[in-house]
Amino acid sequence: MSSRSFNICIKSALVVLVGAGTLVAQSTEFAIEGRPVQVHGFASQAFAASDGNNYLTMDTRTGTFSFTDFGGNISVQVTGKFRVGAQFYDHNIGQLGRWHPQLDWADGDYRFKDWLGIRAGKVKTVLGLYNDTQDMEFLHTWAILPQSVYPLDLRSSTIAHVGADFYGDIGLNQLGTFSYTAYAGFQPNDPYGGWVYGFKPYGINLTALDGRLEGGDLRWRTPVQGLLAGVSYMDEELHIKATILSAFSFNAVSNKDETSQFYIQYMRNRLTLNAEYRKNLLGLEKFIMDSRSLYGSASYRISKRFEVGTYYSRFYPNWQDNLSDPANHIYDKVATVRMDLTNHWDLKIEGHFMNGSAAGDALRGFYLRDNPQGLKPTTNLLVIRTGVEF
Amino acid sequence: MKLMKSFIALALIGMAAGANVPTRGIKIIANLEVDASEISRDELSRIFLMTKTSLPKASHVEPVLEKSGPVHDVFIREYMGRTEAALMTYYRSLVFTGKASIPKTFNSDPEVAEYVARTKGAIGYVSASASTPGVKTLTIK
Repeated sequence: MSSRSFNICIKSALVVLVGAGTLVAQSTEFAIEGRPVQVHGFASQAFAASDGNNYLTMDTRTGTFSFTDFGGNISVQVTGKFRVGAQFYDHNIGQLGRWHPQLDWADGDYRFKDWLGIRAGKVKTVLGLYNDTQDMEFLHTWAILPQSVYPLDLRSSTIAHVGADFYGDIGLNQLGTFSYTAYAGFQPNDPYGGWVYGFKPYGINLTALDGRLEGGDLRWRTPVQGLLAGVSYMDEELHIKATILSAFSFNAVSNKDETSQFYIQYMRNRLTLNAEYRKNLLGLEKFIMDSRSLYGSASYRISKRFEVGTYYSRFYPNWQDNLSDPANHIYDKVATVRMDLTNHWDLKIEGHFMNGSAAGDALRGFYLRDNPQGLKPTTNLLVIRTGVEF
Repeated sequence: MKLMKSFIALALIGMAAGANVPTRGIKIIANLEVDASEISRDELSRIFLMTKTSLPKASHVEPVLEKSGPVHDVFIREYMGRTEAALMTYYRSLVFTGKASIPKTFNSDPEVAEYVARTKGAIGYVSASASTPGVKTLTIK
């Protein structure tokens, strides 16, 4: 990393954290014409360094502070059943995001009954345990969520949709509670995500990757206290537009893009256990890619200020191919210590021990354009991340 | 298979760690306009997890919490099965995904009781010995 880049990163981080810290000191709730209004925000800054390969478009082999994000929201409880709100989000992670702020969500939410509500606008997509909260590092034990299921570079593929959700909670006494979400809408394009970045060296300039989607989630808070199980499904029709070698235009529509995700969580007192499994089928013309992702995690809150955790994550871009080939998998063993310095400020130190690069078919995690000497079979990564929220 | 065995083993450890927790007296209080005299543990938990917004005869209910203290610790442990950190994480996940606002929190039993007394639909918890004029006490069924 050049000294100029280092200085820019440090200045950016300081601006974000000082700004956020100033906001933390302010009141987050007030009233407008008697209606309660809440304002919240967050910011995080990380340092990442690795051996082996550069990771997630960052220059991790020399160490980098190019890992910053922040956001803020405002919401108004207009009546007991009706809320409106909006949140913006901005990030710069290596070559991703590039400080282009985006509307994270903005919706109106009307709860007719406990078993039926509707949310419409730009809505965070419910997919598995953490899809809709993956950007909020302060909500998680980890500095980086399991990338097999929640890839930072491809977040825009699943993070939100413009459309409407029907949702509700149905309590069945001794049988627990079922919560459902059913949604339909449109996935917006992301010109600063991993797909665009990954295709560019091949002379493919993706100008649009969006389309309609629909899906749902059903989760069961079981009669066993702390035990939750669920399943999510999402079906997309991707519209792909690109120019190739600056000369040819390419248009295509996926004939299949289905994601199924199964998850289970056990949370009791200080212990939290999670396990998730995702299958994605992506079909374009006669080509179909069957990728599988899974992880298991455990975290334990030692005290009010300390939490430790570990997870083991696996990603296979092509389930039909040789799974033991490092070009066809990314395994990630992770250990984390989280310190809550105050109720609103956390610090995480995390080690990743990765095997494989999934270079054969995937455009995620490890990019050939960031590793021109070729991808090495293992990568060890240190992430130190701090964040504030209010 | 190995992952599943590890998951089950850790779950059993967690359940054992949660046994034999000491308890102190707390009482559940509600605004006088909440048309109920009793409430189940499940209903109470769901109200404070924001998945239940009404009782059978009450049009809308609003959970009210204490910020900290022994009464708060007992309530979230006994009725919600969570630590303070896990509960705040849960509320923040709702706020930052646009699903809900963080419930009102107060520093003491009198402040909780005063808010519950003047707010239609409010349900809170205080020490069993706290003076709570102007509210009703709900029995846990």
